[in-house]
Amino acid sequence: MSEGRDRWRDGGEDRSGEPGDPDSGGALLASLTLPNVLRDPRVVIARRDVASLSREKTIVLALFIQLFVAAFSSFLVVGLTSLYDPGSVSGTQVVVGVSGEHTDALIEAAEEQDGVRAVGFSTNEEARGAYVDGELNAALLTTDSEGRITVEVLAPEENIRTTLIVTEIRDLLEAVERNERIARAGSLDRQTVPVPGEVDASPYFGFTYTVLVPLLLFLPPFISGSIAVDAFTEEVERGTMELLRVAPVTLVDIVDGKAMGMIAIAPLQAALWILLLGFNGIQVANPLSLLVVVSAFATVVVVVGLLLGILTGTRRQAQLLYSVVVLLVFGTLVFLPEHPATTVAKLAVDSPTTLTFAHVAGYAVAAVALYLLARAVTRRTDPEAL
Amino acid sequence: MAADDGDGGDGDERRGRLGRLRVRAGDLWAWSRERADNVPRIARWEVTKNAGGADRRTIAVALLAIVGIAILVPLAAGHGVALDEGIYRVGVSEESPLYEPVAADSTFAIQEPSPSAVRADRQDVLVRGAQVRRIADSQKGRAAASELRATVESYNDALMDEEDNVSAAFPVVVNLTYVEQDAARTLAVGDTDEETLESGSGGDGTGSETDGGAGTGDGGGTGDGDGTAGGANGGDSADGGDGGGSDSQGTTGGGTSLTERLTGGSGSGAPSDISPPFPFRSLVLAFVFVLPLNFVIQAYGSTILGERLNRRGELLLVSPVSRLDIVAGKTLPYFAGAMAVATLITVALQGSHVSVLAVAPLALLFLSATFLGAMFARSFKELTFVTVTITVSLTTYAFVPAIFTDVTPIALISPLTLVVRDLQGQAVGLGQFAFSTLPPTLTATVLFGLGLGLYREEDMFTQRPIPLKVLDALAAPLVRYRSVALVTAVLLPFVLVAELVVVALLFALGEASIPFILVAVAVIEELAKSLHVYAGYEHARYDRRAKTALILGFFSGLGFFVAEKFALIAQLVDLPEVPAGRAALESQATLGTGLPLPVVLVGLLFAPLVLHVVTAAISSLGASRGKRPYVVALAVAVVVHLAYNLTVVSLYV
Repeated sequence: MSEGRDRWRDGGEDRSGEPGDPDSGGALLASLTLPNVLRDPRVVIARRDVASLSREKTIVLALFIQLFVAAFSSFLVVGLTSLYDPGSVSGTQVVVGVSGEHTDALIEAAEEQDGVRAVGFSTNEEARGAYVDGELNAALLTTDSEGRITVEVLAPEENIRTTLIVTEIRDLLEAVERNERIARAGSLDRQTVPVPGEVDASPYFGFTYTVLVPLLLFLPPFISGSIAVDAFTEEVERGTMELLRVAPVTLVDIVDGKAMGMIAIAPLQAALWILLLGFNGIQVANPLSLLVVVSAFATVVVVVGLLLGILTGTRRQAQLLYSVVVLLVFGTLVFLPEHPATTVAKLAVDSPTTLTFAHVAGYAVAAVALYLLARAVTRRTDPEAL
Repeated sequence: MAADDGDGGDGDERRGRLGRLRVRAGDLWAWSRERADNVPRIARWEVTKNAGGADRRTIAVALLAIVGIAILVPLAAGHGVALDEGIYRVGVSEESPLYEPVAADSTFAIQEPSPSAVRADRQDVLVRGAQVRRIADSQKGRAAASELRATVESYNDALMDEEDNVSAAFPVVVNLTYVEQDAARTLAVGDTDEETLESGSGGDGTGSETDGGAGTGDGGGTGDGDGTAGGANGGDSADGGDGGGSDSQGTTGGGTSLTERLTGGSGSGAPSDISPPFPFRSLVLAFVFVLPLNFVIQAYGSTILGERLNRRGELLLVSPVSRLDIVAGKTLPYFAGAMAVATLITVALQGSHVSVLAVAPLALLFLSATFLGAMFARSFKELTFVTVTITVSLTTYAFVPAIFTDVTPIALISPLTLVVRDLQGQAVGLGQFAFSTLPPTLTATVLFGLGLGLYREEDMFTQRPIPLKVLDALAAPLVRYRSVALVTAVLLPFVLVAELVVVALLFALGEASIPFILVAVAVIEELAKSLHVYAGYEHARYDRRAKTALILGFFSGLGFFVAEKFALIAQLVDLPEVPAGRAALESQATLGTGLPLPVVLVGLLFAPLVLHVVTAAISSLGASRGKRPYVVALAVAVVVHLAYNLTVVSLYV
């Protein structure tokens, strides 16, 4: 049986590679030409599985989702972050009415701030009236209490601009607070640290690289794993596994082939993501290391899925256990010195440390070890029991 | 059966009508009784069959894993996850006063200050003494500098916390009040629109800032879910008072990680405590409602698809239960399970019945989409993809509008907005509730209806190509001529969604995308008006005379027109609240076409009707002849539609 398999693998042409022949090593190397590799049963199975994905056109769905989200990555990021930092998005000015005993301090601080235009009023009632009439975006009514400046802020409710207005007012009042602290430095025990100047920066930067990029890169492995479970158990349930085993392949070859196919599509999708993000203006650094991480995770997840498929044999149980086990495994990753999402973020933003690269190497080693373990388990499984 | 002779005088006629009514009522009663008998029985079979499906070993392993996760979660939360750890590299020496704030923030990785490293992009910010000397010339460098500024500011605030002289440490005290403009009234104290919490002295005023610790736990049970002091409008104002409860120790030195900055706003205290109304915490909690639905639909999808494997569902199909019974019975346990989980979550988050009722249409929508997907899927692999697509799109639909809860009433298109409002302690009006929950419920009903059309032998157990299945689903409800109008009307929400997706996709192209959008919109609308007519013809529901085609076209166009105007009315209900809507409505009055207003109104109202009827009739005529004539007629209809659009546009411009 194994002789037949070897001959199959050699393509049937080169007969010098008989098992036990001292020259079989060289023959093996010679047989690694592309046509022979493509005829390797494992590669055939892998190609068949991936081709069925494209024939079913469901991969189109996955690519569609990815395209949609990637094309929108900048749009989404702008939308979401503008909600907590709206001053960065809008270029308009907020008109604020100031009144009361500390009007001067506020107007002085407002002159330094571009997004605010302060209008002075002589009494608090005047300012309030002007606000209610709609002449102002907000009103700041100041009074003095126990040596502190008490500011009553009137802001519009349930308005899209409320977020922007409140943020600008907060910046203004923080500036006033800083000035006052410096003025009263004599009564303070501790000195405040001088605040660096304002820099015109993109506020979406952090969010994009720490949340969006890891999310997009970890999605393909999870999908791959789930499909791997289905690919195996569905064949068992429909009865086509018996047909496959009639071919001169062992169970290990079948598992190899299915794993190969599912693992290969994950870094391909990740690479597509990285390209699309690049088109959207989000540069991702260290792409090769990132693809290694994605492949390692895909390997782990696919191997877990296939193992569960072999051990349980039914789709429903395999899927249930897969979801739970994968959650558990990735839960434990939190205790690593560096969280995988952080690893991806640091690689993407180009701040990798030796620890980061150590983690990447660690993931790769773990993936290979798990794969070999899976092969060992499969070799010991009785195919008839499926 | 009060079957009177029905002829003769008025009294006899009335008895005849009454008699028929009584017969109908009796039939309805019998029908309901039968459904009530069958559906619970099938539901019971579904539950017992599935519970018996997993063997003991599997359940043991699953339980073990779940226990493992349960132990893991608090440990992981305690360990703390800072996603943005070490992404910015700062060169600062220990003597610099900026060293302490930088060291306390995990976002920064400290290096030896080196100008050459900054030039080589290996360092982002260089600090000498108390000043930032160099910033790397890149987006990343500028972001790092901005982050450093924010870190130092919050470090200063934490430093001032420890001061004894409070008036010098926190010289500014703020009270934020939301007041309506353009209103003559002034708000009295204690009104639900006003929040005037006392800032207090020193410590607890800044407690809300350090509530950021709760943020990193991601709503995993830290702090209160209610934030309902005085029914406040603006974010989690109760956090200010609740500050004592949260652990402020962990954040001395003012780390400003992403999650800390995104906690809900409070209305008073030091200036750095106020933040705009953004119910982030409520939103995360609302997300918790959607998450279990994703797991439920996995199981539901696989059980529906399981029926199609190896002709397993044939036995139920041949039994004397109706298809509606089967589908309803199979869906009921999963719906009940989803509702049970939602109730548990609501109780844990201290919401009210409004949250549970608001999640119901969402659950129905998820289930109906999965049902239709499972009826179309040809293998479990395909079903996985379909489930992922459903998860992504429906979660987006539920989640994104809810972000705007406090900002605009249009957020109500998602039922999650109701949940967020409920969790914040706001009252929800009946009109708002109806506006939010009716569309998803109706859409779910339509999806179930389409799927039911496919629940028959030819579609379930064969590998029929998908286009044919689509036609089967569309043709199922067609019985009379006017069924066509109903189907067109019912397809309208999907038309709107498709148009929205197209606009969203082409949005990235900018101005150049407008012609593409117009063409795409025309194609989508014409397809929606004519595809089911074609399906009806293919299934021999109608004869192929020209007169029939014209009648069908009329009904289809009418259905589309009515549904379109209906949708517009629903939007108009809330539109005056939004300033843009107000402007739009006001500008409708003056059109400047020089025609008297009544003529304009009639023109505005009936021109679309004529357009829809004409184009639907053209496609219908083509459909009656066959596939190729249908495609040609569809193209003609699209061209007519485009011509109409261009005319209208040029009239305004």
